[in-house]
Amino acid sequence: MIGEIRKKRLLEAMLEAGLDGLVLYGNAWQNDYLRYAADFGILEGEGLAVVTRDGDVTLYLDDELEGERAAVECPEVKTVVADDLIGTVSGVIARLGNSRIAAGPKRHLPYGLAAQRGDLRFEDATALVDRLLMVKSAGELNAVRSAARLADEGYAVFRNAAAVGKKDYELIAEIESFFRNEGVDDNFMIIGVGGPEVRGMAPPLGKILKPGDLVTTELTPCVNGYYVQICRTLVIGEPNEAQRKVFGIYNDALEAGLAVVKPGVTAADIARAENDIFRAHGLGEYVTSEYTRVRGHGLGLFPDTKPHILEDVNTVIEEGMSLIVHPNTYNPEIGYFVHGDSLIVRADGPEILTTTPRELFSVGARRVAA
Amino acid sequence: MRHGLIQWRENELSLADVKARQVRLQQAIAAAGLDGVLIYTNHVRSAGVTWVSGFTPYWSDGLVLVLREGLPIFLTALSKRVGEWVKSVAPTFEVAHSPFPGKLAGERLAKVGAKRLGVVELDRMPGGVVDEILSVLPVELSDATELFTNVRGQADRAELDLVRHTDNIAREAFKAGDVTSKFAGDFTGPVERTVRLAGAEECYVAVAPDLSRDRRFIRTGKDALSRTFAVRLSIAYNGVWVRRIETFSAVSEIAARLSSVGAELDRASPALPADGSVSAFYLPDGAKLIDWHLEAPHGTRPLKVVADAEMPLAAPVPYGILTTAFTLDGETIVASRPIGLGGGSIREAAE
Repeated sequence: MIGEIRKKRLLEAMLEAGLDGLVLYGNAWQNDYLRYAADFGILEGEGLAVVTRDGDVTLYLDDELEGERAAVECPEVKTVVADDLIGTVSGVIARLGNSRIAAGPKRHLPYGLAAQRGDLRFEDATALVDRLLMVKSAGELNAVRSAARLADEGYAVFRNAAAVGKKDYELIAEIESFFRNEGVDDNFMIIGVGGPEVRGMAPPLGKILKPGDLVTTELTPCVNGYYVQICRTLVIGEPNEAQRKVFGIYNDALEAGLAVVKPGVTAADIARAENDIFRAHGLGEYVTSEYTRVRGHGLGLFPDTKPHILEDVNTVIEEGMSLIVHPNTYNPEIGYFVHGDSLIVRADGPEILTTTPRELFSVGARRVAA
Repeated sequence: MRHGLIQWRENELSLADVKARQVRLQQAIAAAGLDGVLIYTNHVRSAGVTWVSGFTPYWSDGLVLVLREGLPIFLTALSKRVGEWVKSVAPTFEVAHSPFPGKLAGERLAKVGAKRLGVVELDRMPGGVVDEILSVLPVELSDATELFTNVRGQADRAELDLVRHTDNIAREAFKAGDVTSKFAGDFTGPVERTVRLAGAEECYVAVAPDLSRDRRFIRTGKDALSRTFAVRLSIAYNGVWVRRIETFSAVSEIAARLSSVGAELDRASPALPADGSVSAFYLPDGAKLIDWHLEAPHGTRPLKVVADAEMPLAAPVPYGILTTAFTLDGETIVASRPIGLGGGSIREAAE
């Protein structure tokens, strides 16, 4: 159903832009464009979807096992498995002749595809598709809400699994197992374990949880293709004074950012509201790119989609967008700290999706891994 | 993205192991008259860079530039903070950062006066990267896939040992599954958890819930399991990928037969040559072959079908994953096992 609505919106956008065809690339990392058109969650290899203005969608995959899976999981889409993906799709495009064809995402579009198109060239479909990805339909927003429930439940699993002596990757094993059982296709997740020496989150390094550690994570479960994120920090043992104080700053920054969200403001306005809290506490240095990447971002068919919430991004926030606001950054006293909630932009402001309490969680220092 | 442990483990894949691979590639680069080879990586197309450096991206993407001499250079748009993580898990290359990694590659090539650059899977290279390189340096680009495949096709001991270890993780993990489970997820959840607790960097699970009707594998937790079903584990551990498929049944008589077939496959498979020769395939007495295919690392792909009933193997592979489907005593059985791991000609050639 969502797939049908997306296809309708895509065809309307093509018509409005006067396009005859679209070629959309995807892999398991950057799958949003492909999934928008073909509704397939690709896992291995690469794929291209070719959409024509009469509504025909064909999914080209280079992996036989994925082709087999697509035939069962999305039978409504015509699937072609082609070892020579570029040659096959180039042949299809050539048969469309001298028509207006756009392709995207521009950065990832395989070189061979453009090279074989030669002088005819592709128009850039990036802006057209990005807009569809950012401003979602009612059905898509409902899928986002479903994912939010699992983000909260996932964080509860994470909190309950944290224990002294447990390794970071063992903690992630519990989450992944839980998510798979719940039908979560994918989960973007990084983690930090330790104190002031921790400058950011990373994949698990085999660190062992010990009393006093901050354990930071962002969980980003994907349900039916849609990602929602939650960021929280917990302490192993009772939080100390500094940890409590710093939590207060990050919580104020999160709330300040959320308070600004409404249609018509810019991404920069949200970032500025968050960062002003840090600046007011003399922590302005720590909201720069040396210590943090973004102050939030869009969510949808990609876990880190546009708009990026930064003071130099002037994208206008619109009703129907889904975002996370997260003032995550390094703090010199206690280390890297994360705190963030996902939301949907509604006419009257943000609909906060994640319901996990905004608190500095602690895990008893006597809770020891089995 | 990846979801598990990524760590430098010198005892499993040493700096010397990786250096030997880099030297082999550099010798091939010089012999081909190239100034360097560029290999793209993301977590889907990770195999080329993983082989030449031991590094697999957790998310995002990057390039490795291998020049005729010196350390390879990992070029990435990831931040310097993430770069610290990259260095900690792969001390085998220089890490260089730029919002435009292709441009940076062009600058590095210009520095050594490069004129000819080989690109592994040139057709698949993101177009933006190629544009960035050419904006800096009008270097002659050629496809280096064949060159890389030939170098990569030689197995080394570290890789084969990792394949064995990864297959052991899969074999042990299957023991956590309860064959009387009603739904696929009930069986696969504990299996996946076991794989991850063993330190795997990734685990994909797929199920054919009713083998009597359909041998195709899907990602499902909710489908009911039938009298015989099969589960496919695709596991990455320290950069090596293994698939293992087992067929299960809750009917004890069938389960006993399946267990015996599985044990025989485990005994026979590792020594089979990964050369795509049908005559070498092990099948239990009385079994009738339905279908088979051979997968292997290829280019930037961790595993790709490289031979089947219609397609002969085109180039040597370091190891293979053989999948067979056959009938035995009226039951359809699907199985995958690593082959080409020991005692065979490829191993001897490598050593």
